[in-house]
Amino acid sequence: MLTVAVAVVFGLASMTPLLVRAFGRDAGYLGAAVLAGTAGWLAVAGGPVLAGEAVVSRVDWVSAAGLSLALRMDALGLLFALIVLGIGAIVLAYAARYFAPDDVGTGRYLTLLTAFAGAMLGLVLADDVLLLFVFWELTSVTSFFLIGGLGEGKQGALRAFLTTALGGLALLGAAVLLSVVTGTSSLTEILSSAPVLADAGVTPVIIVLLLLAAGTKSAQLPFHFWLPGAMVAPTPVSTYLHAATMVKAGIYLLLRFTPLFAGNAGWQLPLVLGGLATAVFGAVVALRRTDLKALLAYSTVSQLGLLVGLIGIGTPLAIAAAALHTLAHALFKATLFMTVGIVDHGTGTRDIRELGGLRRALPTTALAAGLAALSMSGLPPLLGFVSKEEAFASFVALGDPTWLGATAGVLAVLASIGTFAYSARFYLRTFEGPERTHPHAAPIGFVAPALVTAIAGLGLGLVVPRLDALVNAVSRDVTGTSADLHLALWHGLELPLLLSFVVVGIGGTLVFLRDRVEAGQALFRGPSGERAFDRTYDAVLALGSRLGRSGSSDAPPAYLLPVVAVVLVVGIGLTSRLDLGALGDPAPWLASDWAVVVLLAACIAGVVQARSRLAAVATLGLTGFTVAGWFVLLGAPDLALTQLLVETLTMALVVVVFRRLPASFARGGRPRKVMAAVIAVGVGTVAGLATYAFTGRRGLSEVGQRFLDEGEGLTGGSNVVNTILVDFRALDTLGEITVAAAAATAIVALVRFSEEEAVPPPDGAPDVDGIERWDGIGMIDSPILRTANLFLAPLMIVVSLWLLVRGHDAVGGGFIGGLTAGATVVLLYFSRGHQRIWQSRWLRALLFTGVGLLIALAYGLGGLILTGTFLDGAKFVLPFGIEVAGSLMFDIGVYGVVIGMVVAILRHLGQGIVEEPPTPERTVLGAGAHGQLTTPDAVTTPSGPATEVRR
Amino acid sequence: MSTLLVAPFVAPLLAAAIGLLARSWRGVQRTVTGVLMLVVLGSGVGLVTATRDGAAVATRIGDWPSGLAIPFAADGLSAIMVLTTGTMTLLALVFAAANGEDEHQLFHPLVAVLLAGVFGSFLTADLFNLFVTFEVMLIGSYVLLTLRGGGTQVRAGTLYVTVNLLASTLFVLGIALVYGTAGTVNFADLAGITEQVPTSLVGFGVIFTAVSVKAGLVPLHGWLPRTYTTCGPAVTVLFSALLTKAGVYVLLRLSSLVLGSDVTWRPLLLGVAVLTMVVGVLGAVGRGDMRGILTFHMVSQVGYLVLPLGIWSVAGITAGLFYLVQYVLVKGALLIVAGTVERLTGTGVLSELGGLGRSRPWLMVAFVVPALTLAGLPPSSGFLGKVLLLRAAFDDAHWLAGAAIVLVSLLTLLSMVKIFTGVFWGTPTAATSTAGTSAAAPPRRTPVPVVAGGSGDTVPAHLEPGAPAGRDVDPPGWRMVGMVGPALLVAALTLVIGVAGQPLIELIEPAARTLIDPTPYLEAVRSA
Amino acid sequence: MTAAIIVGMLAAGGTYLILQRGIVRMALGFVLLGHAATTLLIASGGVARRAVPFIGAEGDLADPLPQAFALTAIVISFGITAFLLTLAFHGRDVLGHDDVEASVDQAPPIDRAPPIDRDAQDRNR
Repeated sequence: MLTVAVAVVFGLASMTPLLVRAFGRDAGYLGAAVLAGTAGWLAVAGGPVLAGEAVVSRVDWVSAAGLSLALRMDALGLLFALIVLGIGAIVLAYAARYFAPDDVGTGRYLTLLTAFAGAMLGLVLADDVLLLFVFWELTSVTSFFLIGGLGEGKQGALRAFLTTALGGLALLGAAVLLSVVTGTSSLTEILSSAPVLADAGVTPVIIVLLLLAAGTKSAQLPFHFWLPGAMVAPTPVSTYLHAATMVKAGIYLLLRFTPLFAGNAGWQLPLVLGGLATAVFGAVVALRRTDLKALLAYSTVSQLGLLVGLIGIGTPLAIAAAALHTLAHALFKATLFMTVGIVDHGTGTRDIRELGGLRRALPTTALAAGLAALSMSGLPPLLGFVSKEEAFASFVALGDPTWLGATAGVLAVLASIGTFAYSARFYLRTFEGPERTHPHAAPIGFVAPALVTAIAGLGLGLVVPRLDALVNAVSRDVTGTSADLHLALWHGLELPLLLSFVVVGIGGTLVFLRDRVEAGQALFRGPSGERAFDRTYDAVLALGSRLGRSGSSDAPPAYLLPVVAVVLVVGIGLTSRLDLGALGDPAPWLASDWAVVVLLAACIAGVVQARSRLAAVATLGLTGFTVAGWFVLLGAPDLALTQLLVETLTMALVVVVFRRLPASFARGGRPRKVMAAVIAVGVGTVAGLATYAFTGRRGLSEVGQRFLDEGEGLTGGSNVVNTILVDFRALDTLGEITVAAAAATAIVALVRFSEEEAVPPPDGAPDVDGIERWDGIGMIDSPILRTANLFLAPLMIVVSLWLLVRGHDAVGGGFIGGLTAGATVVLLYFSRGHQRIWQSRWLRALLFTGVGLLIALAYGLGGLILTGTFLDGAKFVLPFGIEVAGSLMFDIGVYGVVIGMVVAILRHLGQGIVEEPPTPERTVLGAGAHGQLTTPDAVTTPSGPATEVRR
Repeated sequence: MSTLLVAPFVAPLLAAAIGLLARSWRGVQRTVTGVLMLVVLGSGVGLVTATRDGAAVATRIGDWPSGLAIPFAADGLSAIMVLTTGTMTLLALVFAAANGEDEHQLFHPLVAVLLAGVFGSFLTADLFNLFVTFEVMLIGSYVLLTLRGGGTQVRAGTLYVTVNLLASTLFVLGIALVYGTAGTVNFADLAGITEQVPTSLVGFGVIFTAVSVKAGLVPLHGWLPRTYTTCGPAVTVLFSALLTKAGVYVLLRLSSLVLGSDVTWRPLLLGVAVLTMVVGVLGAVGRGDMRGILTFHMVSQVGYLVLPLGIWSVAGITAGLFYLVQYVLVKGALLIVAGTVERLTGTGVLSELGGLGRSRPWLMVAFVVPALTLAGLPPSSGFLGKVLLLRAAFDDAHWLAGAAIVLVSLLTLLSMVKIFTGVFWGTPTAATSTAGTSAAAPPRRTPVPVVAGGSGDTVPAHLEPGAPAGRDVDPPGWRMVGMVGPALLVAALTLVIGVAGQPLIELIEPAARTLIDPTPYLEAVRSA
Repeated sequence: MTAAIIVGMLAAGGTYLILQRGIVRMALGFVLLGHAATTLLIASGGVARRAVPFIGAEGDLADPLPQAFALTAIVISFGITAFLLTLAFHGRDVLGHDDVEASVDQAPPIDRAPPIDRDAQDRNR
């Protein structure tokens, strides 16, 4: 049933847009009717609740997260549900006339208000802490959009949202902690497990979190600031959220959890003192405010403070009083807000300095406002009077600790004096005195809702005994023992009544002297929550942007150094924990190795020292060749050959790139050099030690042995490394050529297809086929080379193919073969120049790479289709009984990709610098760039590339 | 089964090869990519079904004897990763097509290469092959990042490439150290190797560091927010869906194989995760441009995703994976919205934006729902994820981590609100005024100045989104649908998951169990 | 021992270079680091066994697996180095130099493909 009730409200919310489209703003009345109906339904069904039988309904949701849609309505729930739905109905009816018929916002506001009502209803009925949190957050979110509108209330909405969100997260923390400690998320079970919590270590944390949640939601010091700020919202929103319901969510939460922590000083003291301090503070500030809504907002802060104080007292009497006052406050505060809305509409201002004498123009409004003000100031025979009396009574009745009761009593009286004063101020300054404005009268439909709540306040005051059952039931549900209170307007001449007289007396004088009071007020400045909030907000943003900027440098070292540092720490840290004595013997070394070491040391020093790019590339090449030599010593001929070819290709690549760059490197500062050197030495040492400690100290690995033993039998290839590459671990090779293909693609993408066409095709050499071949001089202008090319090229192709085919059994393979073939292209490039390659119909990077990749994949997929395993190393028997490993096809793919890569480099990076008009800087650069060309493998006249292009 | 396992790796490669050859025919490229996505999602679903209830499947590539061949294997984790990232990739590609970003001749093949690498990393069960697939993924990302070829891209590309190249070098060094000590690179043999061969731990440490760079853990995260904003919006979406996730996956996998029940390093890892969460979110709060905020959030969210490394319990891993699955989609949607805004207005800088909520209500919806999900507000999938993580943390008495989870989500909310108020609220600016059709309706009440004189709203010029290719005030309807549609889809999805997340959690939990006790996975690899 | 020294020297040289300015010099550094990685891979197989791992070869056959690894690693790092150098090449066109740290003002002015505005803004941050 409860589920249905909640569903109905949310359903209504989802319907509202359509209703508004159909009936315009009158849809508000429909909504009001539905809410009122639901309220009546709950009230009727709520009969047994007063007798102590809670209504329960439960639907499983996400059990893994301990979430279940469990609802439960006891007297406390009933009271709040009635307030939520009742005031909700009133507000919707009010909104139906508040918004102009043509107001585009109507639909949005009505929808959000209804959705909010649903969230509140769920909140007060939830019987699962996580579900409670869900609805709690829903109220925050909906209120964010209600306050913010389409951005008009940006500031207020943001403050309100973030503040309440902080509370919401505190609630989440508390909820999860509770469910972890008690092992259940059911609210009923948690509330019944006070003993468990009593000796749980985290209980104080839970209390703090709950207080934080309630304090933010119910605008208690120091979180009060968001409430006045939220007054930018249209009046119906303020009425509903910030007078009647949302701010009461905190009150509800405190009442709900009272059974767990009542009597706990850490719970009681903050509530009583903090609450009543808020009450006084709010009352005082309200005396100063000139904007009616702000005045009411601070009055709400004050009233909520009073409620919090009562809950802190926690006696059955206090709880009963709190329940009664919650109801009373909902009624009169809603009325007052609605009247303010009417005044605002009628006069166009809410500033009491510009208002006055409105009683004549808006009599009914004045009546409603008057009744509500009386109730708020706590005068008989209105409900507010009774609730205030009971509040006083419960304060003075607090026996233990007595001082607390006394303090509370005094503070409460002070607050009430303020309340009396600002209530009078509100009414008198607005509706009495000289007329300052000439408002247009308000239609009765606009006033009616306010009148209803006002009269309700009066009527309930007159028949207040009828509320006994409800408030007693609430006090029983919360504290366990009923307050069996007998509410009445006349209790006889007792202390509370005397206190009321004091209040009226002093309050009256304050009203009488109100001008002087306001003057004096100017001196008094309360703590400004806004400023605190904004400062925090700014601080967080500032800290963040500092952090952000740190991650915005352009210098690679800023990103490389952390990596180096971390890996050093990790490596050293882990090693230090090891028992290095357990390591086996280090690998032996041969004298011949030292030659390598010495040579390498020289080369590396050369690379590091190199000032000019030319020197750098030369020494780099030597380094590579030395390493290759070392590989030969280690019995890795394939590796050595590959290293040799790759190194050559790298040098060719570097040279063509250098042709576009200044001759010498950009200079880093000396400090940077030193730092780099220090780090480099550290890294080198660690790397060396790691190599020494963690390699070469075990026998041949089992898997390596197996390759040597089983390799040939399985693949028919005697070059084990090659069989691993093309058979056993062909997948690695596939990935490897994918990288190569992607790199070729990258070159094309960057140089040819980047959004700004960096390198236009050489003049007169459009990137199309079919134009007649052109044989000009190349970078090395020598006829010998050109003729050599004629004979050499075919030969090299043949050799490369031979290397390709024999790969399986001897040094060679697709990659080595491909690189050899690539060398042919290099030769062509140097002998015939860039344009020759540029215009060739066949030398297309993507063509080669694409086809190569496709062939390799076709081989793999063939296996998948024929034998059901990808890259299956099948053998084919060709005619004449030649048996060929299918993996040859795979190697052909590799061959193609490698050629494609070489072509990409020469074709797209190889055209050097394009002719540019000579400027001082240019000549410097030009000399530099051409200086690069006087390299062993690229000799040319300074104007080489330029002339090349000019033709 | 073999087909199912290799398809996600091979199909993209095939698509890449065809795409390269057919670079002049976009129709062909799009068709090929479409088919590819079908294959990927199909095999993703197949793998998820095959690995339900903690089962694991494996195959030997080339059918060579076990131990010599490279094994491909999938357990719940791998399968879920493939399906999730695949789904988001599809949405990202729809966005790319609508945004016109796939009109670059090489976009499709490069994306295919990227996918091959990512899915390969999810599925391989061989350490060195993992390195290779990682490289395939990275080279794809290198080129995609610099595809626009402007100066911004060259700068960012250099940083990105150098950092990742260094990490890759470390990866190789780590592998070498592992092989030098343990003498194997096969996951099945590496499981628990650190007990038999303690010295192998150093190699794994180096590998962990290398992968942490790619995952973007603090303090190795700097490159991520610096570079991700410089490429095309759709590329950013792809990266967020794929790259860091691959890193996270490998961290989880290694943690399962190498650390296992060893609790020595858990507190340290938990600390790193929390640090990442906090630093990332602070950085996000400080940024003043949509994509800047969102990319910095990636760092923070990676922190959430690696929390399980510290909370190594079934509950913790389940929570982490659940969070990951929904997060991939959510972050994708947010970046898609950011990209759309950039296209509509030509800028992503908050101070230049405002009032889009009036003219583009659907765009606002497409942002709000995922944004609140990211902040973990109910009733969204993000909320479930947060609750699960929180419970897992508190269950094992990780109070600090719990507190961090809560506080970080508050800051996340703050940054999301910052974007929302900056872009969709307020009055239309020069950039947004003409953007859209029904704008111009002036605010009913006088607007209130923005809260807290937006410090941090200043964006270093080179951090601005990579050259939004001009503004396109009113793109044709099909483009808008293609751009906003995916985001709206995700928005709906997160709500559905949030309301009915139970089945998903039930699907994920077995996967978490197989990580705690990888026996099924190892058995599958051995007996493949 | 020698392997350790070689790896150490290569690693040190590479690290020094990648911390320098200019893409090209960093690229050279990464080439050296690549050599270091390759060498370490080979060493991980054990440099004690040095006979060529061909079927039928005599002596203490080297572990073939690391050699295969090294081959793959070499090619991959070459591919990426090529990309890095292409960035330098392209950077010359869009930035005017290969030094991503330097501002355009320091760079030799070029009359073609002027640095786009965004990079001009880089200075005034």
